[in-house]
Amino acid sequence: MIAALGEAYVALKQTIFEHALLPALYALGLMAFEEAAEEWLDFALLGALTVFVSVAVCLPLERWRPVEDHGADRGPIRTDVTYTLLSRLGLAPLFAFILLRPIEAAWAAGLARLGFIPPTLETLIPPLRDAPLLAFLAYVVVLDFAEYWRHRLQHRLGWWWALHSLHHAQRQMTFWTDDRNHFIDDLLAGLWFALVATFIGVPPGQFPLLILLTRVAESLSHANVRLEFGRIGRYLLVSPQYHRAHHGLDHAEGRHALAHGCNFAVLLPVWDVLFGTARFGRDYPATGDLSGSERLALGSWWGTQAEGAKRFARALIGRG
Amino acid sequence: MSIDPKAPVPAPSLLKCCCLDSSGRDGLIARRTLLATALATALPAAPARAGSGQAGHVFVLDSRDATVSVIDAARGEVVKRLPTLREPHHLVYTPDRSEIVLGDSVGNEFLFLDPARAEATRSLRVSNPYHLMFSPDGRWLTVASLRRHQIDLYRAADYALVHRLAAPRMPSHIAWSPDSRVTYVTLQGTNDLIAVEAETGRILWRKPTGDTPAGILRAATGELLVANMGEETVSVIDPESGETMRRIRTGAGAHNIFPSPDGRVLFVTNRVAGTISILDAGRFAVLGAYGAPGAPDCLDFSPDGRQIWFTQRVANRVGVLEVETGALVAQIRVGRSPHGILFHALA
Repeated sequence: MIAALGEAYVALKQTIFEHALLPALYALGLMAFEEAAEEWLDFALLGALTVFVSVAVCLPLERWRPVEDHGADRGPIRTDVTYTLLSRLGLAPLFAFILLRPIEAAWAAGLARLGFIPPTLETLIPPLRDAPLLAFLAYVVVLDFAEYWRHRLQHRLGWWWALHSLHHAQRQMTFWTDDRNHFIDDLLAGLWFALVATFIGVPPGQFPLLILLTRVAESLSHANVRLEFGRIGRYLLVSPQYHRAHHGLDHAEGRHALAHGCNFAVLLPVWDVLFGTARFGRDYPATGDLSGSERLALGSWWGTQAEGAKRFARALIGRG
Repeated sequence: MSIDPKAPVPAPSLLKCCCLDSSGRDGLIARRTLLATALATALPAAPARAGSGQAGHVFVLDSRDATVSVIDAARGEVVKRLPTLREPHHLVYTPDRSEIVLGDSVGNEFLFLDPARAEATRSLRVSNPYHLMFSPDGRWLTVASLRRHQIDLYRAADYALVHRLAAPRMPSHIAWSPDSRVTYVTLQGTNDLIAVEAETGRILWRKPTGDTPAGILRAATGELLVANMGEETVSVIDPESGETMRRIRTGAGAHNIFPSPDGRVLFVTNRVAGTISILDAGRFAVLGAYGAPGAPDCLDFSPDGRQIWFTQRVANRVGVLEVETGALVAQIRVGRSPHGILFHALA
């Protein structure tokens, strides 16, 4: 079954690449990016599959035990759908790639001239070399740790919060909300990843199904569903209940106020436990950001992007 | 295009192609007869079969699966997958042919293989090795870093870095002068070819070739041949001056150039056209083309020269062509985005 699906995937990719993408690159004089385009096509096809699986998993759950009824006005949710499609089908990452690739190349070349060659986890921990799956899982843990700290900074630094508040402005949170991020915030995420990769290399790419599972788990954590993972499970994986507490209107209250929130973990709650930002409960608070504007909460993709950029600019010049 | 590895593969006839003749005039020339004559005199008839029928290991670099697929050449079956770190692209024999060294660009290392046992033996950390080639005298190793825009010259004896040159932009494929004095590297991002003196690391010249130059070959007749991937041409270049003397039309997305084992013909993979062009090695006249689906990239030959084994980048397969008939006799499933390929004959 999996083999047959794999063959179908290869056939689809070959058809698109040979008969559409490659001729288009050739016609546009962009053949220098042919290898990158093949990589991008894999990303986009996997992203499409991720959307399909996320819908298949999350939608029934949201209908089964919804936290709240979002009523007839689904405009903000449609905005999140746009964010998801732009992100997972590779359009937003494509622009990020175009902007970041020269920076990343210059950074890596400069380090190479200094004699520094980025290691990988396998070169740092040699036994991982013979266990690619274990190496991949080690990367998931280390990168999730890095994401935890990026997320902490997004809430801690005023100018970064000005961008990240776009994600928190959503009052009708669903599994589509996961990709609701400002484009500049996505660029910063790319730079953050490049910085981390300088010290541990980039993760192996040969486990697309596992990448898909992690992305579905991230979508699920935003789902509008009454679901938590029990006494042990809540320490292992971020649940919709756990992440909803992070998005709650009251997330900056109590002892978590100093950290500007709680439950920052993306996949593994252990980071919140270790650094004192975990809040395990059973409540499903209303979501949104009281400091945000109506345009940030209810606007279209363009509207929220423009509003986010404006808030970011004001924060940078100290007027936010 | 859906490909079933078990389905019978239709034998494509040699294609007619539009080409420039040696005097530079355009003309539609059917080369089938000429090619058939040339090959028939060189090669005895051979039946179509999946494997080569000859003992050997075919090493295929699955660039997006971070593995090396090892194919039993006689049976035409993958018998082993060797893990690499991240993204292997090209591989060559070491000068004494006792080892194979592959460049893992994203993994930042050379991985050495024992070709007879088909096992990895050791690794060496280097910066972003994409394409690599030893000088004919075995003293030097040139490495092109496509992503970091650098050309590195290593001392082959101990792999010590001797020269690192900034090479804007996208250094792609490498060739050497027969006297091992000059290394040539195509610059995919600026449409140039660059010549570097090995001893000094001095740039001798940098000259335009065509749109997106990729594969390069120093022909037995002395000229440099560069495949222009953004066009359907191969540039014939004077190695002393770097000037383009003429262009040969092969197929859209001309990518890389390989001499046949007997040196009589050259084969050019055309990524967009999905063909492999056949050129006369003396005059570079186009003799014909084989159909080669799956965005053909690198190729190697069975020891008897009767078969071409080529990587089909987007089909995740290795295609096997009978040189004499052009029949695609097998497509062997390997890992994702297969790139470099090397046929190692076993006694």
